Amino acid sequence: MAMYIRVKRNKTTYFVQCDPTETALDIKQKLQTLIDEPSTNQCLTLVATNDVLDDSKTLAEQKVENDAVVALTLRKDGNEFEEVYIAQPENLKSFS
Amino acid sequence: MKKEDTVKLISAEGFEFVIDKKAAMVSHTIRNMLTSPGGFAETQLGEVTFPEISTPILEKVCQYFYWSLQYASGMETEFHIEPEITLELMMAANYLHT
Repeated sequence: MAMYIRVKRNKTTYFVQCDPTETALDIKQKLQTLIDEPSTNQCLTLVATNDVLDDSKTLAEQKVENDAVVALTLRKDGNEFEEVYIAQPENLKSFS
Repeated sequence: MKKEDTVKLISAEGFEFVIDKKAAMVSHTIRNMLTSPGGFAETQLGEVTFPEISTPILEKVCQYFYWSLQYASGMETEFHIEPEITLELMMAANYLHT
């Protein structure tokens, strides 16, 4: 395994194994089997830079590195994409 | 990447982490849950809930699983652990036999 990225939406994180030479479209096709949403209804944003990933470019070209966090948004009712939303647990430090 | 080859780990706050079964198997506890014949309901559902593991810790554990696979395949990088989560992470690792 060359690398993995963390694809996040709301309260869910998908760990996706990938290769720096794969394109953003390749990632969407992997996600498609997990979330039952066609790749055309998915939009991926690199969280660190807020850049929307280009389907035809590779991960390396778009500075998506190992362990990177990528936000997933879905198209609502065949129209616009929803806003990026990644939920955070309320108290980040939950020492017991 | 097939749905059947992944498992969903759910944290105390109900956050979900979908990871490859192969990565989850780094944990002996999860491996036992997923492979013991007929025993655990988790085996069929492919979902494991950890009411005692908080979200940031469970995410770190998942990152560790993948790091461990990478390390085993010859990629020698360092695994960074923030000092403030060390204790909680150790307790989770102990429970998960990781």
